[in-house]
Amino acid sequence: MSKACLVDLTKCIGCRACQVACKQWHNLPPEPTRFQGTGGCYENPPALSAKTYTRITFHELVDQNGDLETCVFVKRQCMHCDDPACVAACPVTALRKSDDGPVTYDSYKCIGCRYCVLACPFGVPTADWDTPFPQIHKCDFCFDRIEEGEAPDKVNGIALDDAGSQARFAETQATPACMKVCPTGALKFGDRDELLKEAQERIAAEPTEYVKHVYGEKEVGGTNWLYISPVSFDKLNFRTDLPTRSIPDHSVWALKAVPAAVVGLGAVLGGIYWVTKRRDEVEAEHESTTNA
Amino acid sequence: MIHEEARGKLLTGWSAIMIPLMLAGAVVFVIRFILGLGATTNLSDAYPWGLWIVIDLLWIALAAGAFVTAGTVYIFGGEKYHGIARSAVLMGLLSYTCVGITLLADLGAPWNFWNLLLWHPEHSAMFEVSWCVGLYVCVLFFEFLPAVFDRFGWEQLRDGWRKISPILVVLAVTWFTFLMSHLSIMWTVIAFVVFSILAIVLKPKPNDKSGVPIMLIIAAVVFSTMHQSSLGSLFLLMPDKLSHLWWTPILPICFFLSAVTGGFATMIFTEMTLSKFFRRPMNGDVLAGLGKLACGAMWVYMIVRIVDLVVRGQLGAAFTGGVGNLLLIEIIAGGLLPAVLLLAPGIRKNLGGLMFASLLIMGGVVLNRLNVVLLGVDPFAPTPGATPYAYYPTLIEILISVSLIGATFFFFGLFARVLPIFTQPHQEA
Repeated sequence: MSKACLVDLTKCIGCRACQVACKQWHNLPPEPTRFQGTGGCYENPPALSAKTYTRITFHELVDQNGDLETCVFVKRQCMHCDDPACVAACPVTALRKSDDGPVTYDSYKCIGCRYCVLACPFGVPTADWDTPFPQIHKCDFCFDRIEEGEAPDKVNGIALDDAGSQARFAETQATPACMKVCPTGALKFGDRDELLKEAQERIAAEPTEYVKHVYGEKEVGGTNWLYISPVSFDKLNFRTDLPTRSIPDHSVWALKAVPAAVVGLGAVLGGIYWVTKRRDEVEAEHESTTNA
Repeated sequence: MIHEEARGKLLTGWSAIMIPLMLAGAVVFVIRFILGLGATTNLSDAYPWGLWIVIDLLWIALAAGAFVTAGTVYIFGGEKYHGIARSAVLMGLLSYTCVGITLLADLGAPWNFWNLLLWHPEHSAMFEVSWCVGLYVCVLFFEFLPAVFDRFGWEQLRDGWRKISPILVVLAVTWFTFLMSHLSIMWTVIAFVVFSILAIVLKPKPNDKSGVPIMLIIAAVVFSTMHQSSLGSLFLLMPDKLSHLWWTPILPICFFLSAVTGGFATMIFTEMTLSKFFRRPMNGDVLAGLGKLACGAMWVYMIVRIVDLVVRGQLGAAFTGGVGNLLLIEIIAGGLLPAVLLLAPGIRKNLGGLMFASLLIMGGVVLNRLNVVLLGVDPFAPTPGATPYAYYPTLIEILISVSLIGATFFFFGLFARVLPIFTQPHQEA
């Protein structure tokens, strides 16, 4: 069972409580902010960074006459791919895909090669650039909150009854910080298969409200964050050019071939050497016998 | 094959330029670690790899001269190239060392490097690259040791080296296969058995004291082949950013083939430059032979590249301007032109023509690596809507790279004067 999040963009009001909650839970420092000029006017900070794991992008969509048609707010963060390019890139397994969904990072292993930054199709992993001791940063799906845990016996000295305490624990504690604070239900946390089904049901129930596309269902082999949207995703700066094949799948053949290539090449080179040497020896013998 | 030191003083006029340059590089290297990458480079989240990686990749490709020469001489019986094998290995060793120092500067947390020993990711090309570099540098070091034995007359050490090298090779290759097969016992045993058999069958006769143990050469070619191709595998993870003029599923093969032809061209360039610099006679026959090998390798590379472009339906895109022009320059000026030129025996025997063709090939390889790492990449593809900006290296990035390239040549000159690197001229006649 893999944990996932369904983002319903028709419900997001752009309050950015998720941005704040994320900063609080991960204890991230602030960044200088500034108005972005044209487009995305209230969008801040301008990009995901080592200090900002999630942010809301603002999209004011206009009709043919240039009149404001609708506003859409999009929460962006790591998509937690099913087969992540960053994990395939990492030479020291600092980045890992856990069975229950999150792609996590162990800073103590990281050598700082930044191959993950380059490999990610969503531009998510970011590096510290203002310190001599840099690490990689990205949304970790609050793996430290959502790991399967037992509900405590009592809270604030008050005993919890068995029935329902586990459920309340899951609802209040074992939820990513951003989802815990979302006031409109735009973010829903749960099992990926169930959320995918729910996304399709929501689209089917109100086909005029949504475009018929669950973003993240198939993109680069599927992601653990799923989006449904009132407008087509390319208008919201989502990548719509991504294949359904996972990124690491492209390099698997080359890496799988290595052991056979090493052994085969060694044997062939040894064989060629043996033949050329034998030929020289035969020639030398031949010469010495004819000279004699 | 008798080798000798180059004549001349240890420090020349060049040293007056090179030593201050290297000192400046060393100072800047320290500054980079005090201030961090952000303050000293123009690298960013959009451009996590910059000048240093470009230099590493093209330098490694040109340093392929060491393994293609060793392979030609020892495995394919190209005896006439024996005279240049030792300088090729020294050049390779120094190049790889300087690439290693560049990587040290480039890595954000190089002090964590020992984690490469502890973990074994399933499909990481970077993991393969790291192990290939490490093991190949060790092989180059072992290949170079005879020069030291010759210089100091350490015959006992040479005997030990001759005995232990094949064992170390078997262990290194087995260990490498163990890691690369994701700890598969089956592959590890196969690698151990195959290379042990090779070591036993190819064991030199006790009276054969010449040359380098063949197992070292086999290891050099194996690790180099895996290494050159794995550098191409790195970019297989970027089908969504690297222009499909360069991104192809066979990128590892393209990287290997271009490194082979680049390696031969670099040997021609290096041999001619060294002859000029140390005022030693040039062996036109050897150079013409290298030209022929470079030519053959280039034709193979060009056919693979062009067929690949045609099969993937990208050939037309090369003629639509933009980055297509870069591909055309790479293929025509840096590939087809030298490949055609070197077909003519007259050009292969003409030193000027040979030098010109070699420079074209080297330029083509350099442009190829530049295109794959930077120019053919759209770093803003993952973030539509972001404001694109360009990357230019800072003076610090440039200074570190230039000083390390300078150091390679400086130390080559130094070693060539204190260690027997070159063959005695009368031997080559």
